[in-house]
Amino acid sequence: MARFFERRLTPADSPLAILTTTTAAFLAAMLVTAFLFLSYGASPLQAYFALFHEPFATLRGFGYSLVRASPLALIAFGTIVSWRSGFSYLGFEGCFVIGAAATGWLALLTAPGARIGPLPFFLFLAFAILFGFLAGGAWAGLVGLVRVRLGGNEVLISLMSNYVAIFILQYLVSGPLRAPGSLPETPLLPRSTWLPFILPGTRAHAGILIAIVAAGLVWMLLQKMPLGYELIVTGFNQSAACYAGIDVGRRLVLAAFCAGGLGALAGMVEVLGSQHRLMDGISGGVGFVGIIVALLARLNPLAVVPTALLYGGMSVGADAMQRRVSIPSSITFILQSLAVLLVLAFDALRYYKIDPSAFWRREPQTAVEQVSK
Amino acid sequence: MGSAFVVTWLSASLRLAGPVLLAALGETFAEQSGVLNVGIEGTMLLGALASFLASYYTGMIWIGLLVAVLVGIVANIFLAWMYVSVRASQVVAGLVFNVLALGIASTVYRRAMGNSALPEGIAMFHSVHIPFVSDLPLIGPVLFGQTILFYLTLMLAFVAHFVLFRTNFGLALRASGENPAAADSAGVSVSRMRYAGTLISGAAAGMAGGYLVLAQVGLFRESIVSGQGFIALGIVIFGRWNPLKAVVAAMVFGACDALQLSLQIFGTSVPPQLLLALPYAVTILAISGLFGGKAIQPAALMSPYMKG
Repeated sequence: MARFFERRLTPADSPLAILTTTTAAFLAAMLVTAFLFLSYGASPLQAYFALFHEPFATLRGFGYSLVRASPLALIAFGTIVSWRSGFSYLGFEGCFVIGAAATGWLALLTAPGARIGPLPFFLFLAFAILFGFLAGGAWAGLVGLVRVRLGGNEVLISLMSNYVAIFILQYLVSGPLRAPGSLPETPLLPRSTWLPFILPGTRAHAGILIAIVAAGLVWMLLQKMPLGYELIVTGFNQSAACYAGIDVGRRLVLAAFCAGGLGALAGMVEVLGSQHRLMDGISGGVGFVGIIVALLARLNPLAVVPTALLYGGMSVGADAMQRRVSIPSSITFILQSLAVLLVLAFDALRYYKIDPSAFWRREPQTAVEQVSK
Repeated sequence: MGSAFVVTWLSASLRLAGPVLLAALGETFAEQSGVLNVGIEGTMLLGALASFLASYYTGMIWIGLLVAVLVGIVANIFLAWMYVSVRASQVVAGLVFNVLALGIASTVYRRAMGNSALPEGIAMFHSVHIPFVSDLPLIGPVLFGQTILFYLTLMLAFVAHFVLFRTNFGLALRASGENPAAADSAGVSVSRMRYAGTLISGAAAGMAGGYLVLAQVGLFRESIVSGQGFIALGIVIFGRWNPLKAVVAAMVFGACDALQLSLQIFGTSVPPQLLLALPYAVTILAISGLFGGKAIQPAALMSPYMKG
């Protein structure tokens, strides 16, 4: 008798199997959250309608979804570059803040009458991307250097560095860059430095285009370039990479540098596209949600853009849900993180083969039985 | 200002060292068994919320502490299942769990307390007063003016050291983290040991959350933990996976943290953000590997074990 569940030696890794388990996990997370909605006396269908209608079925809401998706996607790319190279960097909250501070500061310097003075927009943007990328890259590259030279644990060091970065920004907005007024924040950035809005009637800005270009570049780097191949080999097996003549330490630092740079671009997009000024608490957990997006996209750069749109949209929908059905928006944090945890748990299912024919098919079970037959 | 400043600083150092030390003691068990439990940050938050709600509704602070421990254990049954049975990446599972815990804590808190603007306070543990010794100059208020939870934590450090290094259970636990295949062939159930280590760290982290609420802050807010669980992870490394050395490491952290509080009381021109960042910066320096340490971490830390 063939068994309904059969254990495989290696997990099924066809795209279909991965897509099935991911979808099943997401549906399971939605089911759990549905019970939470019920506990608020709200109909789950209504709540989910509120959660998904505004961000994806209204133009205005879709614009906000794009605004939220761009930094998430950029952070997810950073996660992909570093994690696939075997560098478990978790400091994107800090890179985001550093990038925001660096580019916001640069933008303030281009105000009329300031140190640099007005620049043409594209020249400024090129400088901002370069400066932001370098600042974030140096911030994260330092962690890479510590890991390679001193053997420190990058997981914890990068987690700690988040707090240091946040305090640096707090210092900047309450000290040197503070605008006159009661709140610790900088003056509004000069209009000429804002990212252009791309969809009339919405707040959607060119940040999403930057994210899409980054998606292409990261995909090229990892799939088409020898350097990306070396990074991935380093991530799979450091000693094998070493034997193949790859300078593992240098590759790790480079991966950290690129990851930090991408994380910093997320901060740049947020400041130049959406907030238009620097303030305390600008990051608000986006560094961690970006990592979650990358995980849900299974560290595949092309899958990141739709996933980031989904998660950015959910955070827009959460606010709508809070207004309309008066369910706290923090519930989406539960939904978003539970989905990833269940994806991880459901991965174990790919070790099993489901064979429905087991119910009607009778087979000799052992070789002995086969012979005796 | 001299001696008054020193007394304020040192007694605040010990006070602030308490919760992170407690969390670090538990984490030592998890890491010695081969599990890097990053989820203690979220567990502390859940413990803080549980102790706040329990003592708010019952009015008894010991009940609050007990509920915090229970919630920590329950949350870590889930984490242990992810780490040990599912064999998910420990860093990923723990990190995502922290986001989940933040979502749960803020949802439940709003559900329970409504949207009232003013945070509600609760009764707290008072500092003990021992006749004569508490009145000694300098060491009286510093060493003998802490809350009972602080002395309990110190005692637990010795208990933890004894259990880890002087009992069969501790030996089996450390073997599971050092060489799981060898431990397995010697008849130790590696997964049971890792479950045990994770649950102990969960209980301690939950209690540490309760400690924060019941002995330091007196109310709940979402930012109450803000990285103290991560600092506990750093203290475990700085303390070389040894409970008694963790006591010293936690005191160093507490001293950095308290410097900002005490300097603000006595007035200073140093930007407060610089002092606030100090404990995190010192922790980075302590675990950067400048002082060695890679060689003595449990060899199988972060690697899931599959039998056979």
